[in-house]
Amino acid sequence: MTGFPVLETERLILRLPREDDFEAEAKFFASDASRFVGGPKRPDETWRALASLIGHWHIRGYGFWALEEKGTGTYLGRVGLWYPHGWPEPEISWTLMTHATGKGYATEAALAARAHAYDVLGWSTAISLIDPANTASEALARRLGAAFETTYEHPAFGTMYIWRHPGPDTLVNGGMEAYA
Amino acid sequence: MSAASIPVLQTRRLVLRGPEPQDYPNFKATFASYRSRFMGGPLNPYESWMLYAAEIGHWTIRGFGMWMIHDRHTDETCGMAGGWFPAQWPEREIAWIIWPEKAGHGYALEATHAVRGYFYETQGWDGAVSYLDPKNLDSIRLAERLGAVKDHEAATVDGHDVVYRHPSPAVLRSSQIADGIAMEIGHYADPSFKPKGVALD
Repeated sequence: MTGFPVLETERLILRLPREDDFEAEAKFFASDASRFVGGPKRPDETWRALASLIGHWHIRGYGFWALEEKGTGTYLGRVGLWYPHGWPEPEISWTLMTHATGKGYATEAALAARAHAYDVLGWSTAISLIDPANTASEALARRLGAAFETTYEHPAFGTMYIWRHPGPDTLVNGGMEAYA
Repeated sequence: MSAASIPVLQTRRLVLRGPEPQDYPNFKATFASYRSRFMGGPLNPYESWMLYAAEIGHWTIRGFGMWMIHDRHTDETCGMAGGWFPAQWPEREIAWIIWPEKAGHGYALEATHAVRGYFYETQGWDGAVSYLDPKNLDSIRLAERLGAVKDHEAATVDGHDVVYRHPSPAVLRSSQIADGIAMEIGHYADPSFKPKGVALD
């Protein structure tokens, strides 16, 4: 691959994760708020996960973007395209830091990530894997136009729900991106 | 540092390059096997893939990391060697792993000696340690062949490992350690050489 795309939305910069993000990630993953996304984790596990996020970009050519608030540069969390070995399909995924929830940042970034997947990478479909108890994430999937499809038994995380996003063909004319 | 700009190291029999996506299957096979029991394994496919991704990300974050070891002539991979310094590691570590079917040729010695030289001479390290499982006799023996000495005082990673301290750049330059290593690699490279007893790396 030739470099890492930086995306910009109305309020956000989406850039490659880096070590500066570690402190916020470690704090988040030390808390119970991370229970739907593989946490809680020890700081050393979080560091390795951060390194894995970066490695995913090198292996797949896409991955999680770190979200920065425009103007302040505050780290808000991550949204991206995720397909490690053992995943049923490439997914659109999001993890917001506790202080960044409730402002529509994940929606804004996920729309940009999905547009990148469809328009730049040529994906024909996309899913999101969501913990059955994660109602906030489920609501976000609905806002993105995704629909529940089936359950999936993940070898490490147990039962997950697969939500299917609308495909690129249904989004082209008058799709959600047109108004985002 | 991106994967593309990871320096390439050449040794007598080996070439060390940054880990690339196509090298993953051999890594996975080793980390799924009993061979990886001293390195946190065996791992399931997801954990193994995430660790491989972390090996690559480590380069980006730290500017150093683990190289993939290739046979110079066939380009086949033999294992990995390099530097490892994730969060909460007390000191920068020199680490290695050789695929089980590639053991017994001195590849770990040759590769690890090369990466240590690179860290000392090019990246300015003033020393290094290796954190070893006390039951991992192959690796302890290799650390000793590299001139490393058990450090009883140094902080361990989690109390279950022992610390071997590598000779400093000055000691490595002024002692006969490097000569001994070169001689041993020479023996391995000699097609008529047969190691006595059970091969260690």
